[in-house]
Amino acid sequence: MTTRHLAATLGLVLLAAAPTAGQAPLTTTDSARHVLNRLGYGASPGQIDAVVHEGIRRWIDRQLAVRDPRDPGLALRERAYEVLNTPVRDMVVMHTDQLGRALKAQAAGADSMRREQLQASLREQRAAGGKKELRDLNGDLLSVTLLRATDSDRQLAEVLADFWTNHFNVFIGKGFDRAYFADYLEHTIRPNVLGRFEDLLIATAKSPAMLFYLDNTESVAEGTDMQARIAGRPGGAQHRAQRLTPRERFTGRSTPPRGQAAGRQLDPAMVERIKQRMPKGINENYARELMELHTLGVDGGYTQQDVGNVARLLTGWGMDRRSGFAFRFLAAAHDQQAKTVLGVFFPAGHGEDEGLRLLTLLAENPATMHHVSAKLCARFVADDPPDGCVDDAVRAWKKSGGEIREVVRAIIYSPDFWAAANVQSKVKTPLEYVVSAVRAVAGEPDSTPRLAQQVARLGQPLFQRTTPNGYPETQTDWVNSGALLARMNFAVALAAGRLPGVTVDLDRVLPLTSDHAALVDGVNRALLAGAMSPRTRQTILREIADLADPAAARSLAIGLAIGGPEFQRQ
Amino acid sequence: MPISRRAFIQAGSLAMVSLGADPLFLDRAAYALGDLRRGVAGKKTLVCLFQRGAVDGLSMIVPAGDDWYWQERQRIALPKEELLPLDGMFALHPRLATLKPLWDRHALAIVHAVGSPSTTRSHFDAQDYMESGTPDRKSTPDGWANRYCAHAREHIETPFRAVAFGPQLPRTLAGSAPALAIDDLRTFGMRASRAEGEQRLTRAFESLYEGAATGLVASSSAEGFEAIRMLKAANPTGQPAANGAQYPRGKLGTSLQQIAQLIKADLGMQVAFVDVGGWDTHVNQGAGQGQLATRLDELGGALGAFTTDLGEKLGDVVVVTMSEFGRTIKENGTGGTDHGHGTAMMILGGNVRGGKVYGQWPTLAPAARYEGRDLAVTTDFRSVFGELLTGHLGAIDLASVFPGFTAGNRVGMFG
Repeated sequence: MTTRHLAATLGLVLLAAAPTAGQAPLTTTDSARHVLNRLGYGASPGQIDAVVHEGIRRWIDRQLAVRDPRDPGLALRERAYEVLNTPVRDMVVMHTDQLGRALKAQAAGADSMRREQLQASLREQRAAGGKKELRDLNGDLLSVTLLRATDSDRQLAEVLADFWTNHFNVFIGKGFDRAYFADYLEHTIRPNVLGRFEDLLIATAKSPAMLFYLDNTESVAEGTDMQARIAGRPGGAQHRAQRLTPRERFTGRSTPPRGQAAGRQLDPAMVERIKQRMPKGINENYARELMELHTLGVDGGYTQQDVGNVARLLTGWGMDRRSGFAFRFLAAAHDQQAKTVLGVFFPAGHGEDEGLRLLTLLAENPATMHHVSAKLCARFVADDPPDGCVDDAVRAWKKSGGEIREVVRAIIYSPDFWAAANVQSKVKTPLEYVVSAVRAVAGEPDSTPRLAQQVARLGQPLFQRTTPNGYPETQTDWVNSGALLARMNFAVALAAGRLPGVTVDLDRVLPLTSDHAALVDGVNRALLAGAMSPRTRQTILREIADLADPAAARSLAIGLAIGGPEFQRQ
Repeated sequence: MPISRRAFIQAGSLAMVSLGADPLFLDRAAYALGDLRRGVAGKKTLVCLFQRGAVDGLSMIVPAGDDWYWQERQRIALPKEELLPLDGMFALHPRLATLKPLWDRHALAIVHAVGSPSTTRSHFDAQDYMESGTPDRKSTPDGWANRYCAHAREHIETPFRAVAFGPQLPRTLAGSAPALAIDDLRTFGMRASRAEGEQRLTRAFESLYEGAATGLVASSSAEGFEAIRMLKAANPTGQPAANGAQYPRGKLGTSLQQIAQLIKADLGMQVAFVDVGGWDTHVNQGAGQGQLATRLDELGGALGAFTTDLGEKLGDVVVVTMSEFGRTIKENGTGGTDHGHGTAMMILGGNVRGGKVYGQWPTLAPAARYEGRDLAVTTDFRSVFGELLTGHLGAIDLASVFPGFTAGNRVGMFG
């Protein structure tokens, strides 16, 4: 048994107390703060003591044991978010209706200003009738995400939900992904955050959101004649395209006539354009990112040839656009030839199973284990993930057959996680910063997306990363002068209670006092777990000296502490 | 790996102009107001515009004289009659019409079939290589423009020397030399209620960060506070666009307008950087209309407004567009293009010898293609960047900027 393993079996208490070369050992309070920072979004008032009381190890194991990321304690509040109960097909209808309105306005020759007016008045009408627009529903999604991160007791599951949503990034603003994304987050990502990696990978590969985002729905075997396929059916392309509404063109399903729109003749140029847009061959976008980002990593040993062959293998992976918007394999679009990927032969004619076999192959590839484990270590341990920690994670991956729960457990119980050099060393991402600040001041997000807009303002608009690589994790990506100034402004506004989208309760942080020294000591204990430097203490004391109003002094002291350098790290 | 940033700001209101080993001290506030003596290096600006996502260079600068273009792009070739001919071979995308007058007065040069020697078709690796300036070497910690700033001998120490417009500092500007990231000039600074007081907050946070911050957090915050002071003195956003220039709405237009404002405020900006995305046109990229046309329309509009706004000042400013690689010669099955190799760059302003397409045209013939499918690269992007640094900013030695690279033939954009 190696020393590393021995250390791991000796367990946390010993580990936390074991002196690391040249560095002071972590106190129990330090350890509690560390797990709350890294496995969650920071401590809320009193939580460090609570975790110490519960037992750090017990708290960790409780977080790891979570099966369903939904915290029952939030069920009632989540019910207020309509988006969580809106079927994806309803959202698709909303999106196509919106497109239809825009097209109609365009056809009517309205200029852009007039179009905007039309859209605005339609929005008002819908709002008056109690109907939400698609963008309001997606606003719900942002706001419920901030609520969960802030208030869920299942903190590790929330952190992992963010990690996997980012790993399998989909841009919510790309066309129909506006309609698919909520389903993606709720039913593709979240149920799998602590499950098997392979299941998660397959779930994303089959999700309408990913299929559409990386263009796999558009990728068909070379030489497939989608036009002929559709035209060959009764009421085929020729006939249908002339009276289709945008929704019908997209869903391939006709709807009952609505006013004048039905039966309207489209101009021949439009029909021609629709025909032109029918896919005629492969698109390698998803194939490449699947290997480069989701599984093997860019140096994972695949070639351009492999990219092309994976794209061929996944032709036909699409969705049912007629009813439920679930995954559907379209045999007619599938490349029927044999293929070879990474030296593995895929005989011809196995249809959907070829793709499933491929995904299993990728999920079980050592390059994937290493790539994904290193990313997890970068998130939980250090920007530059220590080799030992990655090795521990890979070993757990192999042993458990890719159980994320076991991989994360190995990372947490790896000595690197507890090394003093890796404590308070990572700069928070904007999401981590905002949520940890809100938690620290006992803040409650309201039901609007305004708190999420603060995260966006700091540089990390949720679900809106346009590129498939997701947001970066390291300090060099997040630290710059503009971003730091924005964080300082956020902190002061939050503590002063003038930040839109959140209410704060400073009484839960510390009581009012006119004794400034006692106030700053309280801020140190409550927000920085006693880590405030003498210089910081001095500065805060100096700057609040002229504030006679205890409430004003408390807000400013808290604002300065949260906006200051110590709170940027975790 | 932490990048140790030099904390260059000592104290007080003095700016250091280093001319070789002989520093001159000037009153920084006066400098900020444009009172600097002429002739000191630092009044030239290079604006880097990164088209992230791999722009289809063959649609931007169309090789209309190459028959293969028409053959391989049945669905997405531009309508012949809409093209704006540049010379016998190339034509400009119609949505870049605002740039045609610049071409006509020799202020716009093109380099075609330009790119990286790396074979990667990964956006992220290719962007990384173009920004680090070291293709196929991932361990390079800093960006090429930052290395230029760190090594150039003649410059003015100002936090505005290298400025990126956006919420994050791009790799190009990362490194040991100070660089600012500004999302929006108008909101850069402390926002305070009356009771808190803007001055109090600025003073408090500056002291907190001086005292307790380490590494990148320390140097970045110091640069930020210095920049706030200089912006207060110069008030660049008070300047309206000149000569009737109309910037398009959106991030790109706003950023270019603010770059123009910083240039006019004479804050010593040598390198400005701005990102513009939306070029990854895998599906239905369109031709004269459509996705790509919309992006080019914004690009052309913003660059047109920028050059108009700067007026005569454009003589001190060069804009260069860049993108990580080009796209496939043949359109794909979905009316788009996939990841390719060579692409085109535009260089405008300054004393560029415009009105010419530089670089050797490899042709689109199958035998001439890179890996049998993509536009070959005949000009290394580092040759272009190098000539911008020497020809425009006056750099002498590029060995530390592009380590291990020796340019073959000169591109010749600056004679």
